Amino acid sequence: MNSEIALSLQGLSRTFGDLTALDNVSLDIVEGEFFTIVGPSGSGKTTLLRLLAGLDVPSAGSLLLRGKDITTMPANLRPTAMVFQSLALFDHRSVGENVEFAMKMRGIDPAQRRKEALRLLDLVQLSGEYYARRVTQCSGGERQRVALARVLASNPEILFFDEPLSALDFRLRKALEVELRSLQRRTGRTFVYITHSLEEAMIMSDRIGIMKDGKLVQIGTPTQIYAEPKNLFVARFMGEVNILKVRGGQIADLALSVGGEDGYLVVRPEMLNPVETAGFETKITELFHLGSRVQLHLDTAAGPMISEQPATRTFRVGETLNFGFDPAHLHRVTT
Amino acid sequence: MTDSRAGYLLMAPVALFLLIGFVTPILIVAWYSLMEPRTFELTSVLTLANYRTAFTDGYGPPFFWSIGGAVVTTIACLLIAWPTAKMLHKLAGRGAVVITLLIAGPIFVSESVRLFGMSLFLMPGGGILAGSLNAVFGVSIGTVLNTKMGVFLGLVYVHFPFVLFPTLLGVALIPQDRVDAARDLGANAWQVLREIELPLALPGLVIGALLTFVLCIGANAEAAILGGQTVTVVTRAIEQRFSYAQDWPMGAALTMLVVAVTAVVVFPALARIDLNRLIRK
Repeated sequence: MNSEIALSLQGLSRTFGDLTALDNVSLDIVEGEFFTIVGPSGSGKTTLLRLLAGLDVPSAGSLLLRGKDITTMPANLRPTAMVFQSLALFDHRSVGENVEFAMKMRGIDPAQRRKEALRLLDLVQLSGEYYARRVTQCSGGERQRVALARVLASNPEILFFDEPLSALDFRLRKALEVELRSLQRRTGRTFVYITHSLEEAMIMSDRIGIMKDGKLVQIGTPTQIYAEPKNLFVARFMGEVNILKVRGGQIADLALSVGGEDGYLVVRPEMLNPVETAGFETKITELFHLGSRVQLHLDTAAGPMISEQPATRTFRVGETLNFGFDPAHLHRVTT
Repeated sequence: MTDSRAGYLLMAPVALFLLIGFVTPILIVAWYSLMEPRTFELTSVLTLANYRTAFTDGYGPPFFWSIGGAVVTTIACLLIAWPTAKMLHKLAGRGAVVITLLIAGPIFVSESVRLFGMSLFLMPGGGILAGSLNAVFGVSIGTVLNTKMGVFLGLVYVHFPFVLFPTLLGVALIPQDRVDAARDLGANAWQVLREIELPLALPGLVIGALLTFVLCIGANAEAAILGGQTVTVVTRAIEQRFSYAQDWPMGAALTMLVVAVTAVVVFPALARIDLNRLIRK
């Protein structure tokens, strides 16, 4: 990955009447990276992606593609392509015609189109038999692959994905996440992906941007955002977390002294471990097996907490244990 | 099994009605067309004489005007209906209701009353259009009343709603995300129309076009009220055979030819579209 900027968002805003769907979003997306925008539904992700794809025009701000202003350039002239949440496959056309669509629009001759379409179908692991098949005869996963081949056929410099995996069942989604990531590595293209699933974002992305209420709250690598969330919203959004309130250097309910400013300690479940001495008393109220780990729901003086432990150790519901954490590794947020 | 039996039962009333009201008369007309010219019996010798006359005895122009008029009117109506339907679909709110009522309203007025109204509008000299233009701007204009153009305008005016509403249904069949996807993949407005919008809206367009085509082939009021004596349409010719000429077999033969032309257009067109998409939407 080189550090050239592929797409530069400069203060993009989009309002619909009184509603501000997107509020002054600035971001540089680097050439060849897999950038994921994560946020709850209604946070403005899709609005943002539609601006990037040219399907909508921002109310304010500008968009630069390799330094060139493309803010108002219509979608059909942009060297970008998008996989829609609905996939938006052309049901009235065959798989082959779907894949060839972009090439047909450019006037590429049928023989060459067909050859390229077969190559792309192969790339997304669909055999040549699918070429003549109707889109409506394909399964969910196959349709996904057709949609992918179709955007790749337009040879885009940047690919956008609007939660295309959200409708699939768990196993298929996991498989396609890995495939998408490897496809991105092989093609070296810039991918901009939006999802409301943190897990999806963590698995695939080089960098993640967290959105809330039309604003980008934090940008960073998955590990950065997981370990050092900027505020409580990000901390909670990025997976299970225990939030401990600090006032006057104390976690009041636990009578633990941690020092420092007022704020909140972000304690991930894997940081909360059983200790022989010190720590605080807890009672296990629930126990869930997560395969390699177990998740423990704990009742403490500071309210319920969650801990995750290797499945190699045995815990029992109802058991009373002392848990603690290493203050040196904890992250603190103020809001 | 129960489902299909219920289906047949539900179909029974309309099937009975069509059998008595449609199939039987058509069969009688078909039989009549094979009788000797100028007879009123259904028992004379079978002959193709009437059909021979139809192709040799000056019935070409009426057929030509009716079919030609139907084709041109259908095309013109489609060309106006498409942008109108797109606009109505986009408005979608109250504006659309008002415009829809304005377009649909005239259907509730008898066709000949509307055509006489149009005739008053187009009349030269003191007609509404010419008179107003003359009074307000001092401009004198001619008229299209009693010309083929007048007939054509009348046909478009009367049949426009029959194209518009199916077209509106067709336009509603186009999902916005398909249009977005096509744009995103590099299609310009014209390519989106040709590759996405028209194929997806096809069921509505075909239904609208067929309705108009069939109605226009059978139309005679437009030619009678707005066309003066300039055009004799095929229905007028048929009516003359049955009434004035008292030649029922000839009229029946012409009728069967009109039915044949209609069938040749309608069935292949219907075979091309998936009606289920429109009904099950």
